[in-house]
Amino acid sequence: MSDRSRPVDEDDLHAFVDGQLAPERRVMLQRYLGADPDAARRVAAYQAQRAALRATFLSSPAEMLPPRLELANILAERRGRRYALWRIAAAIALSLGAGTAGGWFLHQPPVLDRTARAMQVLKQEAFASHLVYASDRRHPIEVGASDEAHLKQWLSSRLGRTVAPPDLSTLGYHLIGGRLLATERGAPAALFMYDDAAGQRLSLLLRRMAPDLKSTQAEMAQAGINGCAWIAKGMGYAVVAAMPDSELDRVADQVRAELSTG
Amino acid sequence: MAGVMASMEACVPALRRYARSLLRDRQEVDDLVHDCLVRALDQLHTRRDDGDLRAWLFAVMHNLFVSRARRNKARNQTVSLEEVNQDNLATRATQEGHMQTHDLLRALESLSEEQRSVLLLVTVEDLSYAQVAQVLGIPIGTVMSRLSRARERLRQMTETEGPPVLRRVK
Repeated sequence: MSDRSRPVDEDDLHAFVDGQLAPERRVMLQRYLGADPDAARRVAAYQAQRAALRATFLSSPAEMLPPRLELANILAERRGRRYALWRIAAAIALSLGAGTAGGWFLHQPPVLDRTARAMQVLKQEAFASHLVYASDRRHPIEVGASDEAHLKQWLSSRLGRTVAPPDLSTLGYHLIGGRLLATERGAPAALFMYDDAAGQRLSLLLRRMAPDLKSTQAEMAQAGINGCAWIAKGMGYAVVAAMPDSELDRVADQVRAELSTG
Repeated sequence: MAGVMASMEACVPALRRYARSLLRDRQEVDDLVHDCLVRALDQLHTRRDDGDLRAWLFAVMHNLFVSRARRNKARNQTVSLEEVNQDNLATRATQEGHMQTHDLLRALESLSEEQRSVLLLVTVEDLSYAQVAQVLGIPIGTVMSRLSRARERLRQMTETEGPPVLRRVK
C-alpha cells in the first residue's frame, strides 16, 4: 500500500479508516474522497462503525477474572498435572515392585560408577516411559508410523543425532510411532513404540550418552515387565515390554543389527 | 519468562472479549480462554520471539475454536452478542449518541462468524491486516474482502433502520 502511483481502491478506504494507510497515500485518498461523495459517505459510515464498536467493546469496566483464568493458577495446575503423571508411574512401579527388593526402578545402590549410574538412569527412564505411555490406549505416541519420515526427521533434529525406528517386522512387531521424552537433566530422548498382532506393546528408548561410556546389555525385570539396556557409541538404548527375556533378547539383537551399533 | 507471563496476563481480557464474539455460552467462552492459555503455555517455546504476543495468542485461540467447532458441528455455535453485552447496553446506548449500540450489536450478530472475526480483530483489537491474515490462516486478500463485506452490511443495516448515524462526516 505504499505505491504512490497506484490508483485509490477499496482496500485504501479501509486502511484509511483503520489507520493502516501508508502516509504517502493519505493525501491522494483525501483528494479522492473530495471528488467522490459516495465513497466519502461510506468512509464516514465505516469510521462511525469503528468508533461505536470500540466504544462498545473497549469501554467496559475492568472485569474480575475468574480464578481459573489467572495465569498463576493455570501454571500451578499444569505443574500438578505433570507431577500427577510421575506419581502414577511411581505408584505403578512400586506396586509392581512390591516384595522384589531387587527392582531397578526406584532402587538406588549407594555407590555407583559413571557407567552404572548411566545405565540406571537409562533403565529408569525406559521403564517409567513404558509404564506411562504403553498403557495409554489412545495416545501412546505423538507422531504415528504413517508419518515415519517426519518422525525420523523430528526426533533426529531434537536429539542432534540421526535416529530412526528399526524395522522389527520380521519378529512380528510393527511400529506404532514415536514421541519425544524428557530426561532427568533436560536433554531429549526418543521413544519408539511397537506392537504385535496381539496388541502387546514394546518400547524402544534412545538417548544420547557421554561418548566415552560403554556398556554391554544388561537385563532388568519386574513383575512381568522386562527390559534390557546397553550403551554404545554415545547412545543409550533400552527395550521394555511385558515379554519374556528371551523374546527381548531377540528384539535387542534385531535393534543392534538394524542400527548396526554392534 | 516472567516478562512473557506478565504480557500474557495482560492479553487475557482481549482474549475473553474475542472469545465472546465467537461463542454464546459464558462457560464455553471461559473454557476456550482457559484452553487457549494452557495451549499457549505448552507451545510458548515454539513461538518466535519477534512476533506479536497478542496476535499469536489470538491465533492459538482461533485454532482451538476451529477444531472445537468442527467437533461440535451439530451443536449450535451462533453468537448472541446482545446477551454477552447486556450489562453495558443501557448506559452505552445513551452515551454513544451517534450510533445505537443495540442496532449495531444486532447487525453485528447477523454477520457470518468469518466476517465478524475479521471486523472485530481489525477494529476492536487493532491488529494489522497481515496479523489478522495470520491469526485466521487466510490470505490477506480474503481479510480485505471479508472486512469490506462486513462493513457494507453493517452500514446497510444501521442506515436503513437507525437514526441518521452517518452525518458525522468529518
